[in-house]
Amino acid sequence: MLTLAIDTATKVCSVALCRDGEITAEYSIHMGMTHSEGLLPQLEQLLKRTNTKKQDIDLIAVSMGPGSFTGLRIGLATAEAMAYSWQCLLHGVDTLKALAQNIPIEGIVLSPVLDAQKGNYYQALYQWKEGDLVELADTEVVNKERLLERITKFGTPALILGECKKLEKLELPAGIKLAPKTMLMPKASSVALLAEREYDPEADKKIFGLEPYYIRRSEAEELWEQRQQAQQMQQ
Amino acid sequence: MSKDVYILGIESSCDETAAAVVKNGREVLSNIISSQIVIHRKFGGVVPEIASRKHIENIMPVIDEALQQAKVSLEDIDAVAVTYGPGLVGALLVGLSAAKSLAWATDKPLIGVNHLEGHVFANFLTDPELEPPFMALVVSGGHTALLKVTGYNSFEMLGQTRDDAAGEAFDKIARVMGLQYPGGPEIEKLALDGNPHAIEFPIAKLDAPYEFSFSGLKSAVINYLHNQEQAKREINRADVAASFQYAVVDALVQKAVRAMKDTGLKKIVLAGGVSANKTLQTTLAQAMTKIGAELVHPMPILCTDNAVMIACRGYFMYQAGIESPLDLNAVPSLELG
Repeated sequence: MLTLAIDTATKVCSVALCRDGEITAEYSIHMGMTHSEGLLPQLEQLLKRTNTKKQDIDLIAVSMGPGSFTGLRIGLATAEAMAYSWQCLLHGVDTLKALAQNIPIEGIVLSPVLDAQKGNYYQALYQWKEGDLVELADTEVVNKERLLERITKFGTPALILGECKKLEKLELPAGIKLAPKTMLMPKASSVALLAEREYDPEADKKIFGLEPYYIRRSEAEELWEQRQQAQQMQQ
Repeated sequence: MSKDVYILGIESSCDETAAAVVKNGREVLSNIISSQIVIHRKFGGVVPEIASRKHIENIMPVIDEALQQAKVSLEDIDAVAVTYGPGLVGALLVGLSAAKSLAWATDKPLIGVNHLEGHVFANFLTDPELEPPFMALVVSGGHTALLKVTGYNSFEMLGQTRDDAAGEAFDKIARVMGLQYPGGPEIEKLALDGNPHAIEFPIAKLDAPYEFSFSGLKSAVINYLHNQEQAKREINRADVAASFQYAVVDALVQKAVRAMKDTGLKKIVLAGGVSANKTLQTTLAQAMTKIGAELVHPMPILCTDNAVMIACRGYFMYQAGIESPLDLNAVPSLELG
């Protein structure tokens, strides 16, 4: 099986090609540049340098979020249009789960986090058990204090990975560390490996109407609802 | 006989997700539009993040429907044309990403289209004999401009608005009057029962012959409403709508007549959302007849945002060998001319 993967959930623009669990090529740029400009030229390079024919791709894997709303939509629209053009399978993976895939080692609590703005984080908790990535708790939007509290609950040693820039200055409790830089950020190769394990040959034929995992609603909707509630209270 | 050319057009610059297939630049094979108007109404205007979310949900189904209804396959398509600006950046990026990916995946040319040029080109589908040079009066929520179309791919900007666009003034007055979004058609409806000469709102007198200004008019209407309310005088809403609309149309028509006289052109086209306004259409048509010129305006379905006009614009760029690179980005404030 030949898998082409995309991750544009963060400032990293990453694309990769995998064949049956082996990583053939990966091309990541972490410069905070516009994914709209970089994504297709990166894909073009990836296929060219690996001598891959577009029609030979069996599965498109795409990082579905949480993450930057705009980044996720660029990745998903690109992935959907490719799957439509080539009539191949399309599988979306959870961005936080794909991050945990960066460190496939048992015995550690893994906590992938991504920036949810306004001092908040999207946080997931995973642990590898007998070759499987097990979710320890639901993904939540949390502040720094709650983030550490949730990790401590599952014990140590623990690694935090993802968008950790603002956590670097934080004094971390004993046993909790930030992942090394080479494994810190999303990698399309992890997205591909995860998708190859997870994909469903029937369900993944569907490429219409997919939505990123936003987790949060738009600000306008939240405000509108608050106003509605306030009005009801007054009445 | 030369081979037929099929262009797939894609549009997602604001609150409509649209795709269309146009044959040889003039024949509409499909025109699919998924409108979000109802969704944005409760917010009183387009909410960018919500618009982007609807676009990503709808983009591939809309493209698929456009191809199916046109009875052509993706292989039959000669080029993919897509709006890359102006518009809401997050919204633009959905259609643009899908279009770029489709073009790249099927090894076809990608053609980035200026949304406003697209509006002008909607007129090629109404008037089979239309060809440059002609004048275009672009009137939308974001733009008001007189554009000289000197060739299929060359434009000369004569003048634009200095402040608000005409459509923006319509929307703002509608909002102040408590009418629902989008305000333009609501004002037009209300104006049907009003007297356009009941209230004399000011029309900006500018030194520049082809420029427009609508912010003064907007303030005048708002002040009028406010003063009447303060004085507890009854407001005839239909008269306000009709008088306001008259002032906007009068300003547009005066400048258009001047531009036609100065350039000696014989055809003028209307473009943009406000081109659907019937009062504007009839008043401008009468003024043109008086000076021996002719008005062309798009059919109603092509006045508002659609992908047919994008495919049509793309066709003429394709014929001239104009293509866009794969790193094409959205340009939210893309200029005209």
